[in-house]
Amino acid sequence: MKLPESLFSRMLLAYLPFMLYPFDLFRSGVAALWIATFLWISSAFFWFTRRFFPERFLKPAFFLWLLVWAQAIGTVTKLPPLWIVSAFFLMPVSFLETAGKAGRVRIFSKEVPRYFFERALAGLGFLGFATLLTLVREIGESRLGTRLVDQPPAGLLFVIAALAFLWKNQPFRRP
Amino acid sequence: MYSLIIAFGFLLAMRGAKPASLHRPAEGLLRIWREASDLLLTVDLALMLLAISLLFRGTRPFAQEYAVLGAGLIVYGASRFQKKTDVFFLSAAAITFVIYSRQYDPLHGLAMAGSVSVGIGLFQTCFWGLRYRLLFSRVPASMEGWPVLCLLAGFISIALWGFGRLIF
Repeated sequence: MKLPESLFSRMLLAYLPFMLYPFDLFRSGVAALWIATFLWISSAFFWFTRRFFPERFLKPAFFLWLLVWAQAIGTVTKLPPLWIVSAFFLMPVSFLETAGKAGRVRIFSKEVPRYFFERALAGLGFLGFATLLTLVREIGESRLGTRLVDQPPAGLLFVIAALAFLWKNQPFRRP
Repeated sequence: MYSLIIAFGFLLAMRGAKPASLHRPAEGLLRIWREASDLLLTVDLALMLLAISLLFRGTRPFAQEYAVLGAGLIVYGASRFQKKTDVFFLSAAAITFVIYSRQYDPLHGLAMAGSVSVGIGLFQTCFWGLRYRLLFSRVPASMEGWPVLCLLAGFISIALWGFGRLIF
């Protein structure tokens, strides 16, 4: 379905459509929290039910799932459906493959499936990333009087470039 | 709307379709504009079908109440028919809905879809050109990858905004 991607790439790509929401810090936080929650719900749902779908209908079912949720959330909260693109990018490798088996990763001396660990991390990472960038945007707009997103969105792209630079050059990162 | 062009232009430039090799720039450019015209046709088709369904009393409530679902299903069918990627489908669906929610007049909607598609094509062309130039530049190892790509996207965003202001 998709190539495996690093956590930062997924967070960055997921943030690009999210950047278009003209929300303040609180509403952005709520929207990001919803995306992370939706990611966890979808991951759990499709992990446990993927064997019940015929293989060729699994992918259409996933996209139908996305569209139905986008419609439902749009009807209830008037949230434009850009968030489904974010949710899609947060789901990494071929989670729809029926033959896939979850590896295990040790957290605090307890082994948990890597599948759920990665999704949990992606959701939390996106939540932090989106909140941080919205905070930067708020500070830039309210304190400095600059418009980082609206016209043009270059300001936020430069901030993301700086974050990408810092992420790539972490001092204690293993090579 | 300008942010929509930049965000989805960047997204499609990175993950839209399998890119041509940077060593064959002409093929890459051709592919970019073919993708942009496919995006335009897909979004236009969805907008037109939604506008047509608004004309009839039987389909009007569905088009008004379930626009996201309707637009999404139309775009999904069109994307699968053209054998497009998942990212193309989701981007086209999101762009369709954003235009539809802002513009009920079908002709204005089509014009808006045209300008978004041309904008995305233009962004991707500039992005492709700058990435090609980077092949002949010495980029520090610490800046390779996302940092330099985001910088390029930011500079293109400023440049296109400047040109847009000059023309309009």
